[in-house]
This record gives sequence, structure tokens and C-alpha cells, in this order.
Amino acid sequence: MTLPAPPLLVLAAAIAALLAAITIRRSFFWSAAITAAGLLGALAVIPWALQAPVAAPESLGFVGLILAASLVILVIAYPYWRPCTIVPREEFLLLLLLATLGACALAGANNFITLFLGLETMTLAMIGMIAYPRYRGQAEEAGLKYLVLSGMSSGFVLFGIGFIQLSCGSLAFAQALAAPGSPMMMAGLAMLGVGAGFKLSVVPFHFWVPDVYAGAPAPSGAYVAVVAKIAVLALLLRVLALPGAGFSTGAVHAATAVAILSMLIGNLLALMQDNLKRVLGYSSIAHLGYLLVAILAEGAIAHVAVVFYLVTYAITMAGAFGVIAVLSNADAPRDMDKIADLRGMFWTRPGLAAVMTLMLLSLAGIPPAIGFIAKMYIMAAGIHTDLWVLIATMVASSVIGLFYYLNIIIVMAQKAEATGTVAGISLPGRVTMAAVGFAVIGFGVAPQPLISLLRSVFG
Amino acid sequence: MNLVWLLVVPLLGGALAWPLGRLYPLLARLVCLAALGLDLGICIPLLKSPSPGNWLAGFNAPWIPAFGMSFRLDMDGMSWLLTVLTLILGMFSIVVSWKEIQDGVGFFHANLMWSLAGTIGVFVALDMFLFFYFWELMLVPMYFVIAIWGHENRRRAAIKFFLFTQGSGLLILISILALAFFYQRQTGVLSFDYFALLKTPPSGAFGFLFMLGLFVAFLVKLAGFPVHIWLPETHTEAPTAGSVILASILLKTGAYGLLRFVVPLAPQAAHAIAPVAMWLGVASIFYGAVLAYCQSDFKKLVAYTSISHMGFILIGVFVCNTLAWQGVVFLLIAHGLSTGALFIVVGSVQHRLHTRDFDKMGGMWTDLPKLSSFGTFFILAAMGLPGLGNFVGEFLILRGTYAVAPVVAIAAAVGLIPAALYSLIAIQRAFHGPADAARSQPDFGLRENTMMLALAAAIIWLGVYPQPVLDIAAPALKNLDSLP
Repeated sequence: MTLPAPPLLVLAAAIAALLAAITIRRSFFWSAAITAAGLLGALAVIPWALQAPVAAPESLGFVGLILAASLVILVIAYPYWRPCTIVPREEFLLLLLLATLGACALAGANNFITLFLGLETMTLAMIGMIAYPRYRGQAEEAGLKYLVLSGMSSGFVLFGIGFIQLSCGSLAFAQALAAPGSPMMMAGLAMLGVGAGFKLSVVPFHFWVPDVYAGAPAPSGAYVAVVAKIAVLALLLRVLALPGAGFSTGAVHAATAVAILSMLIGNLLALMQDNLKRVLGYSSIAHLGYLLVAILAEGAIAHVAVVFYLVTYAITMAGAFGVIAVLSNADAPRDMDKIADLRGMFWTRPGLAAVMTLMLLSLAGIPPAIGFIAKMYIMAAGIHTDLWVLIATMVASSVIGLFYYLNIIIVMAQKAEATGTVAGISLPGRVTMAAVGFAVIGFGVAPQPLISLLRSVFG
Repeated sequence: MNLVWLLVVPLLGGALAWPLGRLYPLLARLVCLAALGLDLGICIPLLKSPSPGNWLAGFNAPWIPAFGMSFRLDMDGMSWLLTVLTLILGMFSIVVSWKEIQDGVGFFHANLMWSLAGTIGVFVALDMFLFFYFWELMLVPMYFVIAIWGHENRRRAAIKFFLFTQGSGLLILISILALAFFYQRQTGVLSFDYFALLKTPPSGAFGFLFMLGLFVAFLVKLAGFPVHIWLPETHTEAPTAGSVILASILLKTGAYGLLRFVVPLAPQAAHAIAPVAMWLGVASIFYGAVLAYCQSDFKKLVAYTSISHMGFILIGVFVCNTLAWQGVVFLLIAHGLSTGALFIVVGSVQHRLHTRDFDKMGGMWTDLPKLSSFGTFFILAAMGLPGLGNFVGEFLILRGTYAVAPVVAIAAAVGLIPAALYSLIAIQRAFHGPADAARSQPDFGLRENTMMLALAAAIIWLGVYPQPVLDIAAPALKNLDSLP
């Protein structure tokens, strides 16, 4: 088991190339092209890396997922930043590549040092992405908030790593897990759990989510909501799959409580929001709660269910943030992220409204969107392992969740007041939104190809 | 393959109507009518198809093999009757919107068509998961129809409708997943196939819980007492076409689910809960009738009568003999036609008078004689006047019930008295007496007269010569007869 080295090398090379390009001549188009080429190149070497005798298909699968998500976010970010004249735009792409490098390293880590380096690379780059439009007070505030809180969670992680190293004398996951459990080891693992909780934004570590999502520009919000979560969950899933790993009874109880609270609190707090990004933030808390149900369930179904749900969540969240992003641009003092901003969208922009409706249906788990299949998958996993309390909570909280998803749809369907001209949406924005929409409905109607793919990589 | 086309045609029709409606609203309406007509053309010949057993047509293809889910469609006489009912009332609901819906015509018709497609899917899907998929699929478009084109309190009504049906839908999902895993434990194969699952009827506590999940969900859909609370508001606030589809077709999916799935899949548990279900049915009959009597809103009155009629259905399903089941299928069709017609009448009243309040009606017989006479006819039909369709259904149910549970039959029959009360009071307050204000509204025109005459003819035909419908339903009901 080694690091997924080839994609990491390609990404690092792309970062160097981008740096050089910016030094020679500032061009947002060419910078974006280099970034896209780097991400595509990294994706392209994955099949080749899979041929290697020491390949780890799981980590490469997660790396592929991260790269694909980053690519989607890049396409969303490009039209968002293009009209911006207040700050130089090229470095945003640099930060995006850097964060992706960190995320890939994190997802493929086998060793606590790689874990920490990946985590910090990703987090620090993301702080830059969040606070990038520094002329927006909200963005600065969100960046600072994220800096303080993620600094704290990194402190927990580092402390935990220290404890673990002290008790077993090794920084490799495999050795640490094979070591006999001592109180110090338990303390270290608990601290790592707290760090992971922060990054995954599950209750009670969720306080930063709504503010950061709302303050960050839409593409950065999408990045924090999608890529960061994939990377941390990838690591968590891989570690849980190692021999000797698994939840102890106490940890199962703790994780169950966290899952129940996340599902309920996330959906209940989302009810009272008037800002779409905050709604998505709270909704992501609830979705991580659903994911925990699948993680707690055992067996082959649960294993694929987690990844399937993760893919669904990534596509859907990227799509929902993408709708905000294509409606907004970086020069404006704020994004079009009030729910009231969407009023009448069904009549002014039917296509985009249809995509947004699909995303909301997917988040709510209603056919024909892919979220329905994903929810079914998790329920199947839960019922298979008789997790009745969690399943009951999931049912109750998804009914609560319907309230706010439906509310947004109703606002979009209301008659618009005369708002004057409707600004056009750029071609890449249209194509991406249409592609995301088709993915959501296509895999919702015929999920078998996706299930087969995920089974072959992660099964 | 015919069954697949049956689903694809309305889906495509809806998808075509949406963009067309932005440019040529009339064309969108015509496309939808044509699509439903074509669908009817596909559906009707299926009755003559020589097929083994009691099944008229079938289709089976793998869908999500990872879970043993297949795209399995099968049609028997009961599905055929309900599908034809769906298509015919779908056409009526398009015609009734001709004048009423003027905004967002394309999107409205797209939603209407997709909801109909979902409903047809519910009636023909015999893979449990596929059934559930269609079950959910028919809700979202209907939600849009209510939330966008409904009356004053549409937002509240739409959300209430969706929450109730979605929440109960999740119960179905849990039940069928549990049943599939139960089957897997018995046979080693994961399957959602109806015919496979029939072979391992669950028993004991698990069987009862499984049955209870489905029973509650279908009871919510059927709007039986005490989980009917979503119905009055939803049916009242929806636009006329929405009310027609909700009352005439969507309610029927609950009854269909009870007949097709609850009774055959968990016969022991269904037998155990039968007394409770029957008394709930009696409660629905009285509750719906008394509340209908108290309404001053014409549309709400019609909505409450549905609760009352669905009480008969609930009793009939759990009596579990062929006679009562015949009555159930028959009443589903007759109620669909008569209540659909009543909602069209109420919609026309509202379109002309801009009110649904009885206090502002009265005396319509002098101004609007055609509307009033049709209205009276359909109210009497809903009341169960002998010679009209509903009477046959109710009579068969009562007859079947008397053989098994005479006390229930007597109680249900007494429930026909409040039915007469609410019917007569509605006729009196709406059509007789002095007019509230001078009115100069046009009476029914050609479009409305044609619709009304067609529906009236169908109801009279059902009442006078019910045998063909009973003959179509009879072999299908043998499929369900797995009770000891």
C-alpha cells in the first residue's frame, strides 16, 4: 500500500506550471486551462496507476472522485471569477489546485504524517479560497472563522497523533491499529475523532458551517462542502477497513448519538434560514448524519452505500452551489444566495430552475433524482443490520427536511415581480449545470452503471 | 412492451407540452389530449390479448440487478380498469383546464401528464421497489399543480399533502426493504419481485409489523379516518384538474395498494387487523358524512364525501370475499367518475361566481339550469341512488360484508342516512332557494355539456348494466385470493 503517487505528481507539476505561467503573463483563461489540464491529467493517470503491482484501488478511487469534483467546481468558478476586476483572479486557481493536492494526499494517506500534511495543505488553501474576495466583509469573517476553528481541530489532530505515536511507537496506520489498546491510545483516537468531527461538521462540531458557507463565495463554498468532506471521509473509510480497525462499543454509541443529533439538528435549524447557502450548510450537517448511518451499518451493502451516498452528495451539493454561482459574480457585493433571490425563477429561467429543483429533490431523496436511490441504499444497509433507531430518526428527519426543500421550490414557482432584464448565463455555466442535472436524473433512473462502477472500485 | 409504451407516451407528451406551452398554449393542450388518446388506444386492445393465466400483459427486464430489482410490469383486469379510469379522467382534467389555466400552460400540462404516468406505473408495476418508485414519482408533479395553480391557501395545502404522503411513503420503503431481506434470509436471493415475495408470506410479529407499515401508508393515501386530515384542505385548494385527479385517481392508489399488496403479501396479519380496519371504515363513513354535512364550502363538502366513500372501500377490502372485492373495484370506478364530475361542477361554479361558499350561491337553478341539473344528478349519484354506479358498488360491499360481519354491515348501511342528508342539503343550498345576488353568467357551453353528458352516461351505464365491469375484474380478483 503506497500513496497514490502518480496523480499527486501530476498535480504538483500543474501547480509549478501555473506558478510559472502567472509569473510570465497574467491570463485568467490560460491559468484556468492549465488548472483544468492538471486536474484532467491527474484523472487520466489513475487507470494507469491502477495497473501498478502495489496499487490501492480504494484510495485511487477516492482520488478520482476528488479530482472530478474539483474539475466541476473549477468549471463553476471560471465564469464566476471572469468578470472580476478588483483582485487578481489567477491565484484563486492556484489555491484550488493546492487544496486538491492536499485532499488527494489526505485521501490516500497511510501514515499520520501524510495525513497531517495533507490536511493542513488542504485547509490552509481553503482558508485562502474562502476569504479570497477580501472586499466582502462577510468573506473575510468566514475565512477568519474557519482559520480559528480549523486551527483548533488541527491542534486536536496533532495532539492525538502525538498520543498514538507515544503509545505504539509508530506513525503508520497499520502498526498503530495492530497495537494493543491502552488508555493513551484511546485518548489519541478520541482526539482524532474530534478533529474528524470538525472537518465533517457533524453535531456537536457544526457551529462553523452555516457562517462559513454563507460568507464564502459560492465556488469556495462548494469546495468546502464537497471536496473537503470527500477527502476526510475517504480517509475515515479506509482506516475503518484496515485489519484490527472498527468501532468499539463505546464508539458505536457515541457515533450513533452523533448521527441522530446531526440528522435532527441539521434539518431543524435549516427550517429557519432565509439564506440558501446556510440552508445547504445545515442540510449538509444532516446528510453527514445519514452517511454515519451507513458507516455504522455493516456488510457489503453498507460499504457501497457509503460511497454511493458520497458520490450523490458531491454531485448534488456541487450542483446546488453551482446554481448560486452561475447566478452571481465575484464583483457584486454579495452572492445571489437569499432564497428570495430565486423568486419566480421558474418563469424567468426555467432550465436553471429545473436543475435546482432536481438538486433539491435529490437532497430530499425523492425520485427521479439520484438522492432517492442513495437514501434507499442507506436504508437498506441500516435495515439489513437492524439499526432501527437510526432508521426511524432518518425517516423523521427526512420528513422535517422536506419542509425547507419544498419551500425553496415554492419560492421559485411564485410569480416574479418585474425585475427588468434577465442576465444571460455563460456557456460553460449552462453546460455544467445541464450535465449535473442529467447526471442527477440519469443515475436516478438507471443507477446500475454507477453501482457497478463503485462496486468494482470499492467493493 | 405495450405496457412500457403505456408509461412512455404520457411522459413524452408531458415533456413535449412544456416547451410548446411557452409558444403555443393551445398546441400543448392538444398534444396532451392526443397522448392520452393514444395511450387509451394502446390500453384498450390489451383486454383482448390472449395471455396465459389471469394476466393480460407483462414486461420484465432487469433494472438494478445489484438489489434484485427489476422493471416488471404486469396488468390484470383490475389494473386495466384503473388504468382506463386514469386515462379517461386525465383527458377530462385537461379539458376542464381549457379556460381555467391560463398561466404557465406548458408546465401545468407537463405536471399533469407526469403525474398520470406515475399513477399508471403504480397500477401496473409488480416489482415492489418499482411500485414504490412510481408511487413517489406521481407526487412531485401533483405537488406542483397544487402549489402553483391552487386557490388561496395553496402553499399550506401543497406542503401538507406532500408531507403526509411522503412520510407514509417512507413506511412503505422500510416495509418492502424489510420484506426483501426477509425473503433473502429464507431463500438466499435478494428480490423485490411480487410473485417471488408471495411465496414466503411473513408471519408472527415481523409479518404484523410489515403489514402495519404498508397498511398505515395506504390508509393515509386512501384518506381513511383518522389519517385523513390532509385530504379536505388539499382537495379544496387544488385547481379543478388537480382535485379531479386527486379524488378520482390518486385516492384509488391507496385502495389498490391494500388489495394488491397488503392482503396477499401478509394474509395472516391482514386477517388479524381486519376487524380494526373494518371499524375504521365505519368511522370514516360517519365522520366524512357528518363533516360534509357541516361544510359551507361546496368543494370541501365534496372532499369530505370522499372520506365517507373510502370508508366503504376500506370495509370491502378487509372483508376478503370475492363479492365485496367486486364491490370495491366497482365503487372505485363509480366514485372516480361521480366525484370527478362533482369537482368539475364545483370548479365551474367557482369559475362563474368566484366563490365556493354556499351562502353566496342559492337559486342557481333559475340562472344556470344546465349546471344545476348536472350538479344535482352527480350529487345523487354520489349519494348512491339506485340505478346509478355508486349504488352497485356499495350494495355489493354491504352484501359481501353481511356474510362475514353482519354488525359492521348494518353500521355501514346506517351510514347511508347521513349521506342522504349531506346530498340533499348541498342540492338545496347551492341550487334552490333565492339567489344571493343577481347573476349574468353563461350556463354550460358545448365543452362543458359534452363532458358532463359523457360522465353522466358512463355512470348510468355502470348502474344499469354493471356486468361487463364485473366480468373484467373477476379473474383479477382470483389472483388475490390466497386467504385461508
